[in-house]
Amino acid sequence: MNNEGKGDIPSMGVEPEVKSISVKKPQSFFGERLLPAIEMAPRILRYQSRRDFLGFGAAALAALAGAGFLLPQETLSRIGIHRNMDPLGKEWFLNKALRLDDDVAEALYSANRSVPTYTKSQITSLKNNYNGATPDPGYISGWKLTLDGLASGLSVSLDIRNLLTRFSLHEQITRLVCVEGWSAIAWWAGLRFDDLLRTHPPMSQAKWALVESSVNLDASGNPDPYFMSLDLATAHHPQTLLATQFNGHPLTLDHGAPLRLLVPVKLGLKNVKAVTRITYVAEEPRDYWAERGYSGYDGI
Amino acid sequence: MSHSTPPDCEAKSTSTLPEQPGVLVIRKHHFLVRLSHWLNVPILFGLILSGISIYWASPIYQHKPDPNTGNVDVAADIGIWICAHVPGLHHYSSAPDWIYNHMSLGPGMLGLALRLHWLCAYLFMLNGMVYVAGLVIGGGWRSLLPRRTDLLDALRMFRYYVGFPFAKLARREWPHPVFNTKYNALQRAAYFSVLVAGFLSVATGWAIHKPMQLHWLAALFGGYNAARVWHFWLMLIYIQFVVPHVILVFADGWDTLRSMIVGWSTRVERSEVLANEQ
Repeated sequence: MNNEGKGDIPSMGVEPEVKSISVKKPQSFFGERLLPAIEMAPRILRYQSRRDFLGFGAAALAALAGAGFLLPQETLSRIGIHRNMDPLGKEWFLNKALRLDDDVAEALYSANRSVPTYTKSQITSLKNNYNGATPDPGYISGWKLTLDGLASGLSVSLDIRNLLTRFSLHEQITRLVCVEGWSAIAWWAGLRFDDLLRTHPPMSQAKWALVESSVNLDASGNPDPYFMSLDLATAHHPQTLLATQFNGHPLTLDHGAPLRLLVPVKLGLKNVKAVTRITYVAEEPRDYWAERGYSGYDGI
Repeated sequence: MSHSTPPDCEAKSTSTLPEQPGVLVIRKHHFLVRLSHWLNVPILFGLILSGISIYWASPIYQHKPDPNTGNVDVAADIGIWICAHVPGLHHYSSAPDWIYNHMSLGPGMLGLALRLHWLCAYLFMLNGMVYVAGLVIGGGWRSLLPRRTDLLDALRMFRYYVGFPFAKLARREWPHPVFNTKYNALQRAAYFSVLVAGFLSVATGWAIHKPMQLHWLAALFGGYNAARVWHFWLMLIYIQFVVPHVILVFADGWDTLRSMIVGWSTRVERSEVLANEQ
């Protein structure tokens, strides 16, 4: 037996002596190779086992700590962990992850890629998904669309007749996808946002549009103005409409009469109903749902 | 220098091998495979829990609104049924939420669940790449590929597992089918299909997440709504994989569990050395 000193072989890097002769059968590339049995000094095995158990154990503790850090307060309370406040940095970290996903979404966006369109037989029902109460129809008669942040430096107000006579209508049957997961196929018609941008160009440094609806209500019927950020790249997309018709008829109150944003490359929550103001700005503006923990870009 | 050989090694090697002072081991799992294997545990936990919280916002399985409660969610019905029939749950405060309170982060937290889901999804994709890298570098991928003989061998293994408890009860010998491979055909089928399921989960996830920019991907799974159904059932596949996986690892013994932590196994009976002896 001439194996003295074997125990001194450093754990990694140096291959322990292989005690077998490899099988010389011709083997296909995909064929399973038999694993060579190697002789290891027990001391090395013990050392490696201790190292790996400690390493994986530490990682398991880190994962538990990470879960405690990231899981919502309600979830932790339910399993008996009560904490008074969310740790600092949790929101920051989760928003960082969300930001990464938004960057991926923005990289996936292509101005030339059209969303799928459908036939009339594929149209599905679309529920009134006003987040709060549906506004009183009184606003419709005096409705105006106000444009701000224009190259001219002026503020422009347009009524619905004005918009319908000056712009040509485009039709599309597209899918509206809600952040909740449901979706609906509907037949829309309206003017292209791109055409509006052409006739009323925004100031040169503008990168974003802030799309607002002042008539939006909260669940108990109190005013709760809705505001959405929309990047101008998406606003220029040929399928981004300022829709005035739904399933062949003028928009009803439920669907944001007399004019709503229809942006099928974004989640439904970007499709602002009863738009009353569009402001072009250079920096990313506020966003109703981004302030409530959702994505701000919402590209789909 | 210690000349003591662990008893289990001695028992296995005395008949066919000359006496060895060391321990005979095989390197079973590459470090990256072990690392990503265990990382899958917290990541899949996070994905499933946040996923069911997302499901709550718009369940796939719905029926016509209940005339009394207005409920449309089948998962809520199951919760109501559980609370009505399981002793001790009769006074559960929100029976329709029972499933979500026990199998997800909780109801009514879509924004938070989505952020956690994206975080875990990116980690899952990174981890999947680490796993595949470990399979390639360590050569372990060959052991996972399905073979032509797998169907018959899987049936033999199935018969073994089904008959095992009866044979034990009858004190009858019930020999394990012999395979000259790292995994038996049933294991291979399970590990290979869960790998495919992981890939499909990512693909259907992207199809749901970006149904417009990646509409071809959604179309591949039969459209946006069908991709959601796929994504849901793939989650169930993980669960039905994990349960027997954990049971069988413990049934199989310490060496198998340890090999996924330290990488080596002292079960050398199917290794190259013995293959040469035969």
